Amino acid sequence: MIGIVDYGLGNLTSVAGAIEKVGFEPIITSDPSELARMDKLILPGVGAFGDGMANLKSRDLVEPLRDLVLSKKKPFLGICLGFQLIAQSSEEFGDHEGLAWIDAKITRLAPGEGALRIPHVGWNDVHQMRKSVLFDGVPDDGLFYYVHSYRMQTSNTDIVVGECDYGDRFISIIQADNIYATQFHPEKSQLHGLTLLKNFLEKG
Amino acid sequence: MLRKRLITVLTFNNGTLFRTKLFEPDYRYTHNFVDSWSVDEVVILDITRDGEGDRNKFLDVVRTFAHDCFVPICIGGGVRNLDDVGELMKVGADKVMVNTGALERPDLIKAISRAYGAQCAVVSIDAKKNDAGEYEVFSKFGCGPTSKSPSDWAREAEDAGAGEILITSIERDGSLQGYDIDLCREVSDSVSIPVLGLGGAGNWKHFLEGFQKGGLSAVCTQNIYHFTESSIVSAKNFLTKSGIEVRL
Repeated sequence: MIGIVDYGLGNLTSVAGAIEKVGFEPIITSDPSELARMDKLILPGVGAFGDGMANLKSRDLVEPLRDLVLSKKKPFLGICLGFQLIAQSSEEFGDHEGLAWIDAKITRLAPGEGALRIPHVGWNDVHQMRKSVLFDGVPDDGLFYYVHSYRMQTSNTDIVVGECDYGDRFISIIQADNIYATQFHPEKSQLHGLTLLKNFLEKG
Repeated sequence: MLRKRLITVLTFNNGTLFRTKLFEPDYRYTHNFVDSWSVDEVVILDITRDGEGDRNKFLDVVRTFAHDCFVPICIGGGVRNLDDVGELMKVGADKVMVNTGALERPDLIKAISRAYGAQCAVVSIDAKKNDAGEYEVFSKFGCGPTSKSPSDWAREAEDAGAGEILITSIERDGSLQGYDIDLCREVSDSVSIPVLGLGGAGNWKHFLEGFQKGGLSAVCTQNIYHFTESSIVSAKNFLTKSGIEVRL
């Protein structure tokens, strides 16, 4: 069973629908003891970083998630805001502390002086920077659906497995041991997205 | 590189899929026209007039549709407050579109953006030329003059936290004569968030104009396809040959 962490943000039903589509059973829950019984965990979410952390705290999920993912090494996939929340901090609407599972920070997209619009919305590439089980059956430079105004930055390039261009290059997938995370929405990226999700569920 | 998007707009009147012309339901679609695989995104609008029809019928249709749709879905029509937004998020919306509700209560944009993120707040603007020959925003399905200019309202919406703007030409709705390029340009030049255009596409060249001259990030269509696999693919092939990067 796949636990989708419910912390009151975003469209959880679409993540659940995609998990069902690739043959797994999703459980949407905010109960730590139920999350502990899951084979894998997914932290989806859209919205603001500060609200995301506040919601995780108010549901007493920060410590249980840390224990399950960092100590017990349960396979974990963060999506969009869930990708950003595992960083140390974000500058979105002021400075906020994150879950700090990886050495990274979240800063505003800087698409340069050109006419590139923010938010970055739509289909864009994932350049495959390293081997990952997530990429099995996914072509290099495959297209995925992004929607975000902030991006992750890290000095630890070992964890960067996918990148995307929007003015600057930014990180679109990271992988650190049992932790996987994508800036884009695999559940809304049709065939490639479903393939990537299935790879995580089967091999992650 | 970020690809230009082709978005399909589906309009429902009391739970039944219709096309529209000049903002009135024109005829109903009786087949499953929705090709949810080639299209980049879907917009679903409830055009049932206030107080008429059963909202649950619409919500049921959307829930069923969303379950098997793996591209983003934006849902609008009749959104007046955060409860309405929550209801649409529950049936599978990734984004919510507001129009009259935001004109009546501009705080609504900020509230949605704050609660669900800017990417969730799409502001739809319906405009046509008024008697003075200037573009004016109309509310209430194109019936209510507002004395606002579309570019001013778009800027206001951006400031309030909108993530995208949909600009619709009331006069071009269902006309197949092409997008109102001047209108699209005026709005896309006035904001730095993505602008989507709707109303009037009748052939693939109109898409090209929308991107190249209208400054659009996405072209929306309601009537042009009869939604077969080949038509969206052929539109995308045409655009690729014309130098526009799209998702094939």
